Amino acid sequence: MSVFSDYKNELMDAAHNERIRLALSRAIKSYRANTNEALRKFPHTIKLAEEVREIKSRAIGEMEKLAQQACEAFEFNKGKAYIARTTADVLSIIDKLVGTGKLIVKGKSMTCEEIDLREHLEHRGNEVFETDLGEFICQKLPSRPMHILSPAIHVPKEDVARLFSRITGEELPADISILVDTARKLLREKYFQADIGMSGANVVAADTGTLFIIENEGNVRLSTGAPRVHIALVGMEKLVPTLMDAYKVAEVTWRYANYTVPSYVSLVSGPSKTGDIEKVTTYGAHGPKELHVIFFDGGRTELAKHPILRQALFCLRCGGCLYECPVYAVTAGHFGDKYFAGCGTVWAATISHKTEKAAALAYTCLTCGRCKVRCPMQIDSPAMCVEVRKMIAEGYIPPPED
Amino acid sequence: MGNKELIPPGLTYLADNITSKHNLLGTGKGAGARWAKGLNLPRESETIFFAGCGYQYASELESLMSLIRRIDRSAVSTEMAMSVASFQKRLGIDAAGIYRRVMSRGGEEDAQPLVSAVKVLNKLGIKFGYLADDEPCCGGLLHYIGLQSEFAKHAQDVYGQLKARKVKQIISIVPSCTYTLRNLMTQSVNGHDLEVKHFCQVVAENISGRELSFPRQVKVTYHDPCQLVRYLGLVEPPRQILKAIKGIKLIEADWTKGEWATCCGGGGGFEAVFPELSQILAVNRAKELVDTGAELIVTHCPGCIMQLKTGLKELKVNNIQVLDLAQVVAMAMGV
Repeated sequence: MSVFSDYKNELMDAAHNERIRLALSRAIKSYRANTNEALRKFPHTIKLAEEVREIKSRAIGEMEKLAQQACEAFEFNKGKAYIARTTADVLSIIDKLVGTGKLIVKGKSMTCEEIDLREHLEHRGNEVFETDLGEFICQKLPSRPMHILSPAIHVPKEDVARLFSRITGEELPADISILVDTARKLLREKYFQADIGMSGANVVAADTGTLFIIENEGNVRLSTGAPRVHIALVGMEKLVPTLMDAYKVAEVTWRYANYTVPSYVSLVSGPSKTGDIEKVTTYGAHGPKELHVIFFDGGRTELAKHPILRQALFCLRCGGCLYECPVYAVTAGHFGDKYFAGCGTVWAATISHKTEKAAALAYTCLTCGRCKVRCPMQIDSPAMCVEVRKMIAEGYIPPPED
Repeated sequence: MGNKELIPPGLTYLADNITSKHNLLGTGKGAGARWAKGLNLPRESETIFFAGCGYQYASELESLMSLIRRIDRSAVSTEMAMSVASFQKRLGIDAAGIYRRVMSRGGEEDAQPLVSAVKVLNKLGIKFGYLADDEPCCGGLLHYIGLQSEFAKHAQDVYGQLKARKVKQIISIVPSCTYTLRNLMTQSVNGHDLEVKHFCQVVAENISGRELSFPRQVKVTYHDPCQLVRYLGLVEPPRQILKAIKGIKLIEADWTKGEWATCCGGGGGFEAVFPELSQILAVNRAKELVDTGAELIVTHCPGCIMQLKTGLKELKVNNIQVLDLAQVVAMAMGV
């Protein structure tokens, strides 16, 4: 069986899965209603998105410089910062920091997903808890995340109730508030027992060295606030020059992710510190004593040179496009690899170097273009998919690294 | 050195037809132009009507699709898209024969939108010709398949043919052909100076003050073809036309209209690679349109018509008709 056959089988299984369709139709309806309401309430977002597109377009061209600058800023703030070129580089840095036999609480991060970090850490004898509810559900099912923001988008509440009943040994109803409360109880103590907290970041200000982490559940605040060590893994495309740029990116991101405003935005610039006794700065007050920020290249600086495909690096990961994709509506993240739909196709082709998978994904795009209408960065996914088709047909896809 | 084996063969099959036979279906020269017999259209004209493959070969495409879908559902389905030709052989299916049989029955009904469009343009007093069996395939599918250098070559050839016939303006009716002739070709041909307009633009510009009346009172919903609405940006002209027709009440979905319209599931060759999934998407879109409460679905693309008819059939909805905008205008003009 070829990669294409396997993929097509998977896609068709998903398309015939009533659970996926039920969950997705609920999600699409609520996404559209919430986003339209958020944009109606804050109409300046549309202009702001244009400004952010300019910011991202410039920043993608100077990722290398911004990464250097951000590293200096984090070091100045008494954090540690690293630039990792390959997945192997990331894992070697993290292995040195984590070691083995540790308890780790983790916020949701697509970059961690990209390199299968959780599986790697578990394999090395660590216990890892995904703390984002959707990601927690995916970890326990197990299932791979099917949406960049809402990883368990494909799982209806009835299935979550069955899963949580199995974990707790109690018969739980398909009542969302009871299920949320159950997750809270299951994870509560882990934050305080954990040795290490891990996160990604939605955007990073290079000038001040500040991570912006957008969330609603509060799990990221606990994961990055309670343990003694915070490790953040960030794709280099998340860098922008200034704190104000980062703020603008963050606001556009959450608005198109269907929020008027999220419950929490954590700005993390260094380890926890206090000067309250004799004005002597001492690190590791209530929060982490150590902050480690790893900037991951993994093919991004190369991708940035491509005139059409570089758009994939503008992606804010709001996930709006997915709700407008007719194929995604019936197959969820099965139309994807590490990332989904158009950007997922580019990622598979140029970052993960999975040529056959990329081909299968590229030909799954209807080229209907509704994703582009939704995208705050106006990323032209059909054009990117057609370009990937061309690169494959003409043999421009480079071979896998190492 | 490319990876052409990674292109799904359903698509390479169509691509070969374009490059070797100059039409999507690989049928004989002249077969597609039969619809225009009796319309007395001149071949020589500065302005030509570009009919495209879609409507001309609609019935052949439809039987090709039902064939592909049948195979796609069968046990051997998964390798299907990777090797259309070999399965046609293994299952003893003579695709070419099927087309021939369909051809002999005639595809007049499917080509009806073209006849209507010509009558509408005549009524509007527009002077134009039709290249008939000399009309080249625009080759747009080559671009979408990823065969850009083949497309570029083809585009230069097509452009040369049109220029040799002294064509200056094109009124094109298939949305994707229109985008190809107007936009994609410009990127591949130096000094491209053909003026390309879509049929609905020409109609919208020329109908003011005319008496347009549909034969009956009817609630109509309009399905925007992707290429027409999002590629060519034609949101208003079809609506302006429908609203100008007495007897038609336009009712639309709250969200999935205009630039937010849902794709019918047939686009960019998708239907040839994922025929079964394409049908699921056709059903989904048909459902959205049925839910508006319309009695008539109007659209403006041969692919969409085929998909929506399939969708309605699967939904077992048989009291809603699908018509092309050109047909509706012709009916409203009484031509």
